[in-house]
This record gives sequence, structure tokens and C-alpha cells, in this order.
Amino acid sequence: MLKKQIVLTVVALIATIIFAQEPGETNFEHNGWFRYTNRSTEFKITNPSVNSFSLERGYIRLAHRWTSQLYTKMTVDLFSSDKYPDGATVRLKEAYADIALPLKDFNFSAGLQKHYFGLIYSWDYTHPEKALGDDQGVCASADYGLTVNGFLPGGLGELHLGVYNGEGYKYAGKYINLSPELLANLRLTPFTGITLGASVFTNASDASPYKNDKKGRSGSGNNIFYMNADTTNKNRFALAPMLRVAFGPVSLTGEYIIYNYQRWFSYYKINLDTAGNPTDSTLVEKTKKYAFGGIDLVPVITLAKRKVQLFGRFAIWNRQEENNNVMELNKDRSFIRYGAGFNYHLVRREKGKPGLAYQFAWTRTQPRNNALKPTDVFLAQVRFEWDAVLPKPQQ
Amino acid sequence: MRKIASIIITALALSGSVLGLEVIVKGSDTILNLTQRLAEAFSAVQPDVTVSITGGGSGVGINALINREIDIANASRSIKSKEISSARANGVNPVEIVIALDGLSVIVNSKNPVSRLTIDQIGAIYRGEITNWSQLGGPNKKIVLYGRQPNSGTFVFFRDEVVKGEYATSMRQMNGNAQIVEGVNADEGGIGYVGLGYIKGISGIKPLSVARTTAGPYFSPADEASVRSGAYPLTRPLYQYTNGVPKGLVRAFIEFELSPEGQKIVEEEGFIPVTQNYIQRNNQILTVGK
Repeated sequence: MLKKQIVLTVVALIATIIFAQEPGETNFEHNGWFRYTNRSTEFKITNPSVNSFSLERGYIRLAHRWTSQLYTKMTVDLFSSDKYPDGATVRLKEAYADIALPLKDFNFSAGLQKHYFGLIYSWDYTHPEKALGDDQGVCASADYGLTVNGFLPGGLGELHLGVYNGEGYKYAGKYINLSPELLANLRLTPFTGITLGASVFTNASDASPYKNDKKGRSGSGNNIFYMNADTTNKNRFALAPMLRVAFGPVSLTGEYIIYNYQRWFSYYKINLDTAGNPTDSTLVEKTKKYAFGGIDLVPVITLAKRKVQLFGRFAIWNRQEENNNVMELNKDRSFIRYGAGFNYHLVRREKGKPGLAYQFAWTRTQPRNNALKPTDVFLAQVRFEWDAVLPKPQQ
Repeated sequence: MRKIASIIITALALSGSVLGLEVIVKGSDTILNLTQRLAEAFSAVQPDVTVSITGGGSGVGINALINREIDIANASRSIKSKEISSARANGVNPVEIVIALDGLSVIVNSKNPVSRLTIDQIGAIYRGEITNWSQLGGPNKKIVLYGRQPNSGTFVFFRDEVVKGEYATSMRQMNGNAQIVEGVNADEGGIGYVGLGYIKGISGIKPLSVARTTAGPYFSPADEASVRSGAYPLTRPLYQYTNGVPKGLVRAFIEFELSPEGQKIVEEEGFIPVTQNYIQRNNQILTVGK
């Protein structure tokens, strides 16, 4: 079934390319990331828990500029996955329309688009792993929504205001609730080499993938309950100030993330009679507060006419959970992360984006609970990306 | 660790990062021939210095400057807010120097009897609203539009200043000025727009006189004084952008371009030397770097 979906997707894209004769300019782009991952405890790479090749990303993008005022774009990701027997899956990553606003350099975007929070939206994968906020699930890198985006006069920076579903691009339909997410993002470039900014979003509630549907049973003895629990996160709030310093070949990009929510956890406990037979059920509701704080720093040195990039990584992630009305650090799930790596660019595209690059990165994650051993991840990746303007017949 | 170090050293060597006396220039096709002539003359003065020049369009040149790939970006349009912001974020401070003036010339085939148009008429032609030369007092012949590609600064300048809307979809998007001249030369119904430097001494085409309103006055780009004074409606500065106030070899090259010898080449290539107001502006910028 999935194979058919993939084939249909590819055929539809090819047909679009061949038959797209609308006015304007059509651009095709492909991003492929072929990755080797070795994950082990205490860098025992000969005894790994993960030792695999994968196509981590297979973006196929079609963008069409109808006029200088109107732009549309769609991206699908065809990537390796164990989810289906075909070994690959397709997901929709972008599909939006940009319409220029009367205010110079500002536009209105509608559709599945970038989620302009923190470092996520501008993360160019110089470091091949995800930005900390993305990795730790603060929010998705894309979501369905409406945004106003623009550049401030005189090159002073950029501004984004948006309303999103709040559940991220992977969710649609029944997993989307009535509470929209509100987002604001500002980046200022007041001086050469200095970028300051902050992003904030609030979301009254996200949607639970499960419902209290009184199906399935779990537990034993007198503690028997229906299996599916509703786990909605309420009062979601995230704030991420950022700083980027770039002088000559050296840059340092960093952000501080604050993320809070209250988890509402509810399920039905089955009541039993004296003989142990189910009679009725009682809704059990519990709440628990979570508070996260993180720092993500990525220094980069670019050398040899941008062919070589040396990079480092330092991150801290603290997870606090409510326990008897006290917020306690969950040391098992809090960590310090550090590492380094380098990229070698064989080819860059005309506008400086990667064309063909080798990427190598090592990252160690040490839980704050020192009794737990660190996890090491070694990545080696071939990143191949290209784009082309589709020719049109001369009239 | 030793292996990583050797890989890095090999990569550095392969990349050709050996220090050399080179100034790298990229960008606008309109200024390409002019800059090449200037570079040749500069090399005669500074034989140890190589000035490498490529085209690609103003947008491509500015992007390359933002990415620190080049020393000078040639541009036939001014830098955009978005580009300044990206440059600053990348630690690049774009500094603007005007090296010449251009009278962007609207050209037709020399057999076409139409010799003058207003900005509004040219805009209507390029929006596809006027489609036959007979609507402008010319022969009953379909108008064929020749223009540039979107990465061209001239494409953007002409769209913003003349078309004031969207180009007709029938416009043939050519790679450069020379291709537009060739196209119009071979097409009696053709109309195109090119930099002043591309019409000098070329037969088979003619530049139109242009006015802001139907009441006139009409000015020809071939009339140097009207371009110099700004009376010609499509007069525009031609820019070079550097990262910060130019220093060293880059400064030496720009100073040569702005010198009497350099400006003489500007004139020989069909463009207009920088006027007093731009000389003062350039001097203010260059003085800061001294």
C-alpha cells in the first residue's frame, strides 16, 4: 500500500514538473541525506545499540513564483523508515502560499509552514543533528498555520507572528484540538556580526493521541483500569532568547530555552464487586507540572574558502517534574551534551547552500544522574542537495 | 586525533587556500564587461594582482559576498533589507560604492519606426497590455518582449521603475544583455532593455528616447548629458559592495576604478562616469577606512 503511495507521489511530482506551464518560475529541489549512525554506551563503537545506514532525509520540493507578490511551495519527505514493510515512508513537510502585504518586505503565509521558534526554523544542519528544542520535543519544526513574516527596514532584522494548530506537522484531523498556538519571533541584527532575538509561544492545550474510550484493560487485583489514558498537555508556554556572534570565520550560535506545561492525565478505573466482577468505572484525573530549561551552543569555524567547517556542540537540558507539589529535577532525563565534528563541502550551490558535503559528528550525552553511563553517537553523512529552475517553452 | 588533523590539513591544501594576490569579483552581468576592462587595466598597474571576475547576476554576487566567497559584489540594483540582515548576521558589513552611472536603454530593431515612448507606455508593453506596434503608431507587427532573468538586478530595477507590476508571461528571459541585443537585432518586432554599455557601436538596434509623461521632454540614453544630469528617466547608479570599508588590494582596485584612468574606461565602455554627488559619497566612505 505504501509502495503505491510512494510511486504515486513520485509520478505526481514528475507530472507536475513536465506539465507545469503556469506563468512564473518553477523551482525543483532535492535534498538527500545518507547517514551512518553508531550509537553506543561509553563509546564502545564495536558494541553499539544502533549501527545502521539510512536515508535520513529525502526532501522533494516544488516552489512556484507566480509573481513578485505570490509564491507557493510544497515539500514532501521520502525517507527511510521501519514503519512500513517497504522500508520508506512519505510525509508532508511544507505546503503553503506566500502573499505579499502592502507593507514593504512583509508577507502573509498560509498553510503547512516553518514554525518560527528558537533556533529550529533557521537551523541549517551545519551540525547534522537537530536543534535542542526540536530534539527534545519543545515544538515541531513545521506546523499548519497562518503567519505574517517580514524584514525590518535597513537590514535591522526579521519579525514573525503566527497562529498555528500547535500539534506540529505530524498531526492532523482528530489529533488537533480547538486551542490554537500563538507565536511571536523577533531577530535583530543591529550591528555587523551580532544577532539578538527571542521567540515565544503559548498554547492552552495540545491534543492527546489517546482518548478515554474504555477499551482494553490493564492492571491487576483491585487496581484494574481501561488501558487508554488521555494525556493532554495544558498551559504550554515556551520562550527562547537567542544570540549569534559571527566574526570572520568564527561564529557562535546559542539559545536558552524555557518550556513549561501541565500534563492532565486521566483514565477510567474499573470498580469491582465483592466477587471481583466489574460493576462500573470511575474517572481518575491527575495533573503534573513539567518545567524544562536548556542551553544549546554551536561554535563553528569555517575554513578553506568555505570547504571545511569545524564545529562543536555544548548543550544542557534540565527536566523538572512536580512531585508532592515540589518541582524536582529528573536527573535520569536531564543531561549535559557535548561533542564536535566537521563538514567537508565538495560542492556548494550558486547561492552558497550545500551541494555535496561529507559530515562527521560525535556527540556524548551524559545524564545528570552520574550513576547512568553516557551515550555516544557517531554520525557520518553524505549530504547531496541540488535545485533547478524548470525551463519553459518560448512563446 | 592525528587522523582528523591530517584530513583537515589535506582538505585545506585541496581547497587551494594558498595565500595569493587575488581580488574576486562576482555579480551583475551589466557591469561584467566594464569590470573586466578595469581589471585588465589594473593588472597593468599592479602586475602581481589577479582580479577574477564572474557574472551570474546581482543577486548571486550579493549572496556570494554574504557567504564570504568573494571580495566585491557587482550590482546593478541596491542591496535589499533582507540581504543586509543576512549579511550582518553572518558578520559581513556590506559597504556600497558607486563606480559608474547607467542609462538603462530600451532598444528596438533599427527597422522599427517607433523612436520614443513614455515610461507608462513601456510599462504597459512589458505588462502585456500593449501587444502590437500599431497601437503605438508603428507597423502592424506583434511586439516581442526580451528581458532578463529574475536573479538579474536589471530585471528587478526595470520591474520596479518601469513595469510597476508583473512582467507579461510571454517575455523571453535572456541570460544577459548581449543576448537581448542579439534577440532584438534579429527580430523586427522585438523590444528589450540593456545597460548603456551594450548599445555603443552596435548596428541593427536603436535606443528609444524616453519621457516620464506624454508631454515630454523625451531624452535619449545616447545623450550622455541627460544621463549624467539624471534627466533621462532610467538613469541608475551601478554599485560595488564590499565587506566593510575596502582595504588593501580591494581598496586599491576600487580606487583605480574611481581614478581618472578608471573613469575613462567607464566612458569607453559606454557608461557614464560617477557624478560629483556620488564622488563625494564614495570619498566619505573611503575616508572612513583610512
